[in-house]
Amino acid sequence: MNGVRVGNRIIGADSPVTIGWENVPRVEGGPFKRLFFTWFQPAVLFAMILFWYYAPNSIAKASTAIGIGIAFRAFLLALEWVNPRYKSWELTWKECVTDLFYVGLGYTLLRLVDNFISSEVLIENLLTSFNWDKLAFFTGLPLLVQAFLILFIFDFGQYWMHRGMHNWYPLWLTHSVHHYITQLNINKGAVGNPVELFLIGLGIGGLFDFLPRAALLAGAIGMSIGVYQHINVRFNTPAWWRYLFNTTEHHSLHHSQDFEASRSNYASNFIFIDRIFGTCVDGEAELLGMEGGRRMSIREQMTYPFTEAWKTLKEKFGKRHETTAVPAE
Amino acid sequence: MTRMVQSMPGGDLPGTAPHRDGRSWMRLIDWIWTVRGELPLPAGQSADEAFARLDPFFREPGTSFDQAGRSLSFTKQDPLAQDKMSIYDRGELRVESQPGGGVLRYWMTSKSLLFCFLAPLMFIAFGQIIVGVGMLTKPDTEQADKKKKDEKEKVRELHWIDQMLGAPAPEKPKKDKKDEKKEDGGKDRFSPTSAYVFAGLFALLYVIGRILEDRLIRRRFLRSLTGG
Repeated sequence: MNGVRVGNRIIGADSPVTIGWENVPRVEGGPFKRLFFTWFQPAVLFAMILFWYYAPNSIAKASTAIGIGIAFRAFLLALEWVNPRYKSWELTWKECVTDLFYVGLGYTLLRLVDNFISSEVLIENLLTSFNWDKLAFFTGLPLLVQAFLILFIFDFGQYWMHRGMHNWYPLWLTHSVHHYITQLNINKGAVGNPVELFLIGLGIGGLFDFLPRAALLAGAIGMSIGVYQHINVRFNTPAWWRYLFNTTEHHSLHHSQDFEASRSNYASNFIFIDRIFGTCVDGEAELLGMEGGRRMSIREQMTYPFTEAWKTLKEKFGKRHETTAVPAE
Repeated sequence: MTRMVQSMPGGDLPGTAPHRDGRSWMRLIDWIWTVRGELPLPAGQSADEAFARLDPFFREPGTSFDQAGRSLSFTKQDPLAQDKMSIYDRGELRVESQPGGGVLRYWMTSKSLLFCFLAPLMFIAFGQIIVGVGMLTKPDTEQADKKKKDEKEKVRELHWIDQMLGAPAPEKPKKDKKDEKKEDGGKDRFSPTSAYVFAGLFALLYVIGRILEDRLIRRRFLRSLTGG
């Protein structure tokens, strides 16, 4: 396999990938289907912005956001059946159970742990200890600017954390488990070792004060952009969208079995951050995962970072019990 | 990645064990993780022909199998997501002769089914842990909630652009039932509701999976045997 030169790198030397938007397949079917899968993403984004901008205070609550989030994901799950990107990513019962287990962990045990050691809590404690207030100057900005700043601050931090995970072995150990997924489905973003899920959620947003409505807008915009990272639906995503935002195509390359392709497209929502730092590759991949697509069981996903770390430490510092072969005389 | 393994011991398939067999008590519960079934073979089809038709099921990565005479046993280690038998870990298939013709009997176990069956219990336990931790941390959360309440009572104004566009202005929060509940130890931060919802979801998923996977494998085997 020769691969394709993108900047200074050769992408696709280890595993087949598609590079360049002109080579990515388009939605096939009648005019309504093509229209729907072309404008669905922007229409949802603008509808979400309008809803959360104008919703009365009695409706604009976190509980409404959670309800909309669940309903939207259920709808996208149905879209995976209607217009899958790849048949080889079809959601099976076993995959559904595995994914939901991780979603459930996120809503229960991880949330419980977050009550004590999330970055929000740590920053809150820091501010209280020094009797500081949150930086309140953002609250005077227009709502949409505040919402963008909330998202951008988080995404910028998450870009470097994610890039760090791909470049520093101890962090990679925690993140590698997520790269063992072999297909993209709507809940695959939740799959990973709990240590990584904690690390990837770290941010400095807690230092700043924002209006509650701005936070809700940020949540809705983030969902309307980020939810497509792990999804098995083919869209004709408009060019301006894929220039600014992360897409399934970008993220499938990131999960590709090709080593160089996996070291690209780190941002969660704003792919322009990758464009700024030269890590963006436009294209898509079907063959995903590690070790040639080996599927990891939940048990291994839970223990892998620790067992691998132990193996590495033993190799580096452990006693050697090698016997020296003495040639017979 | 296919290699030969030892055939399963014992004369009968576990699914056909007589009632006095020492393992028969297991039959009361092993339906949770075991899928059994039997399919009539097309007229004149021999055991070798039947297994040859089913061969692609066992030529998947991570699958080991051993065919000896009229029986075939298999094990699977980390099967691919799209493996048609990905939920099964081990099992045995046997061709038996009956007066009406040949019959394929199968018995397969699944850790995935067992996991899904136990998952509701696990999430109920998570719910109890959340409630327990909430009770233990009550004094701390009272202080944190008080600080949050003070912050919430600050009245903020919208930017003039938002006022012009007609966005609703932030309200000074009223003391409602939710706030009262928060003052009572910040209990909704330690609510077990999500855990119980997931317990219910997994119970539903188990029922779906137990019925669906049973039917799917039956249909797939039948299709392969008849060449449909």
